[in-house]
Amino acid sequence: MSTDTDSKHADVTFEDIDWEEYDGAREFTPLMLAKILVLGGITLAWVLDWQFGSHRDPLFTVDPAGILEIAPNPGNVEWLFTLTIAVLFFYVVVPLYLNPRMTRHYWREFKKNKAAVVSLVFLGFIFLLAVFGPFIFGRPEIDITNAYQPPVFAGGTWAHPFGTMQSGEDVFQIVIIGARVSMMVGLIGCLMIIVLASAVGTTAAYFGGMVDEVLMRFVDIMLTFPTFFLILYVVFLYGGDLFTIILILGLTTWTATSRLVRSEALQRNEEQYIDAAKNVGAGERWIITRHLVPNVSNTIITAATLVIPSLILYEAVLAFLGFGDPNVWSWGRAISVGRSDLQNAWWIATMPGVFLFLTVLAFNFLGDALRDALDPRHE
Amino acid sequence: MKAYIAKRLAWTFFATWVTLTITFILMDLSPISASGAEFVDQQVQAGMDADEARELYEEQLGYGDTMWDRYVNFMVGLATLDWGLSTTYNQPVVDVIANSWIYSFQYVFPATVISVVLGFAIGLYSATHQYTREDYAATLFAFTGISLPNFWFAIMLILIFGVYLGWFPIFYSTEHGLLSLENAHQLVLPVVVLSTSAIASEMRYARAESLEYVHAEFVKTARAKGLSEGQVTVRHIFRPAMVPLITILVGDILGLLFAGGYVIEVIFQIPGLGLVSYEAIIQQDMPLVLATVLVPVFIAIIGNLIQDLCYTILDPRIDFGDR
Repeated sequence: MSTDTDSKHADVTFEDIDWEEYDGAREFTPLMLAKILVLGGITLAWVLDWQFGSHRDPLFTVDPAGILEIAPNPGNVEWLFTLTIAVLFFYVVVPLYLNPRMTRHYWREFKKNKAAVVSLVFLGFIFLLAVFGPFIFGRPEIDITNAYQPPVFAGGTWAHPFGTMQSGEDVFQIVIIGARVSMMVGLIGCLMIIVLASAVGTTAAYFGGMVDEVLMRFVDIMLTFPTFFLILYVVFLYGGDLFTIILILGLTTWTATSRLVRSEALQRNEEQYIDAAKNVGAGERWIITRHLVPNVSNTIITAATLVIPSLILYEAVLAFLGFGDPNVWSWGRAISVGRSDLQNAWWIATMPGVFLFLTVLAFNFLGDALRDALDPRHE
Repeated sequence: MKAYIAKRLAWTFFATWVTLTITFILMDLSPISASGAEFVDQQVQAGMDADEARELYEEQLGYGDTMWDRYVNFMVGLATLDWGLSTTYNQPVVDVIANSWIYSFQYVFPATVISVVLGFAIGLYSATHQYTREDYAATLFAFTGISLPNFWFAIMLILIFGVYLGWFPIFYSTEHGLLSLENAHQLVLPVVVLSTSAIASEMRYARAESLEYVHAEFVKTARAKGLSEGQVTVRHIFRPAMVPLITILVGDILGLLFAGGYVIEVIFQIPGLGLVSYEAIIQQDMPLVLATVLVPVFIAIIGNLIQDLCYTILDPRIDFGDR
């Protein structure tokens, strides 16, 4: 932008294009407007709720027929989860819909992996269960008269398909709430990692020199710190509710991905289109956001998908050890409760564990297939 | 080479210093910090005499009135092995660690050996027999192994082999001598749990690394000149693949074993470092929590150093220019 435009040459240079103006003018499409309205709306609602709303009471309760019960009690996590789903919609679903050719190509590649297709269907099911399940099937409640009901396939009734706990909570409802917690941890954490890793990784690669040195040495040191103990230590010092735990998980696990992004961005940085953009006077922000980030996005997405299973497992371990949120039924916490009832009620520890295992397995298969489909440079 | 080692050592010291500083800052800014009056107040509220509380406070790692005082105290304390006094055990933290590490070591060591040998062997076999039925079975096992939640797997094993079949004890007991047969018997389940995930992840890496060399030109040459399949596998595929595998051994496997060991000790009640750390967190015993977090950190830092030095011996082509 700081091109030399003497008045006598003003009409012969083609370098005095104001790129910032292009940057501003480009984005005003209906889609962009929808994006800004939805994401901004959710953020605004979050801020308003945080400032003025009472977190203890539900905003409204509807109980028309006993089947459908809506009692939203949006805490910070719920807002962040909504925001994450909106981001997922605008940056994954919409681009796939707008570029059908690209989508078909990816789908052909992805389809080759049968296990991944099954995993995708299973995860879609778990996702829907996580988002809508608690409102349809209700939340677990203490009911002493119903203690230790066996699951339906071991002589129980359909009233409690997966049996009940010592204090009568329904295991099926706990599994559903647990799915919601796991999806929250996995997806919100994944989004945090994507943002942090791509910001740090591309910045380091683009600026090089001292910036690169300092950032990557910091990443090196963070990587030496065993992740599990770092998480444990920070949760011990600051932990408590689910929101804090998700923040801690995101802030402690982005480093490996950022290193990957940096090495990928370094390669892209040598490409001719970057030189071309520089030669016509594009600014640094423009090059990073318009050329560097889109071209390393496949690496970022696959790396972040492969982190989801470990995020879910970390949360489950924390909940199992009793360092999680005591007000949230996570799968890990349910397994921990079932551990003391192994002798007389095997299903309490078994059922949530099966779902935890299958979800993590499905995410691993999915990440692996995504890497094969999206990242042809891998191997 | 000497310059490289010197540089690497200097970096280790610097990294250790930064790590400890981060650890301190995290602790000092937290609500559970050991800073001054609050600490004494907490102890007095917990039913301790005020003088006693003040005395205990001055035994803590990193006490002092200003942040700088506490920082200097913290660093000097760590360097001189004066790691504070554990309130739960009522003895110096260093002694608690010294008494408990052997209980962790006794099952982590066998699990490491088993997982390295089996993991590399299965990975190598899988790579040399790519796309066979055995390869698919091994890949499926690897995915299952890395996805199985350690703690749930342990509980399921206890449920099946402990509660229903009664082959193995449900809890660890310290009555038997460390080298007795009973002790080995009660450690079977912990070792199985710990090595399953480690075998799975090592196998995956070993397979991926070996695959890079299975179709290499020099392997074809080796076959063409008439080497047996075994010789080709060991000398021309495994040897070059081993260099990057060393990295994974230290970084990933160490972390995996320590993190896995933590829950396993809590589940089986093995009085090793993990259980000590768990109880310290429950009891809010700050010096002990800090020590049990720092022990794996130091092991990781030293492991990284050894790994980088091994690299130069295993692969003479490594460029000493960087770092």
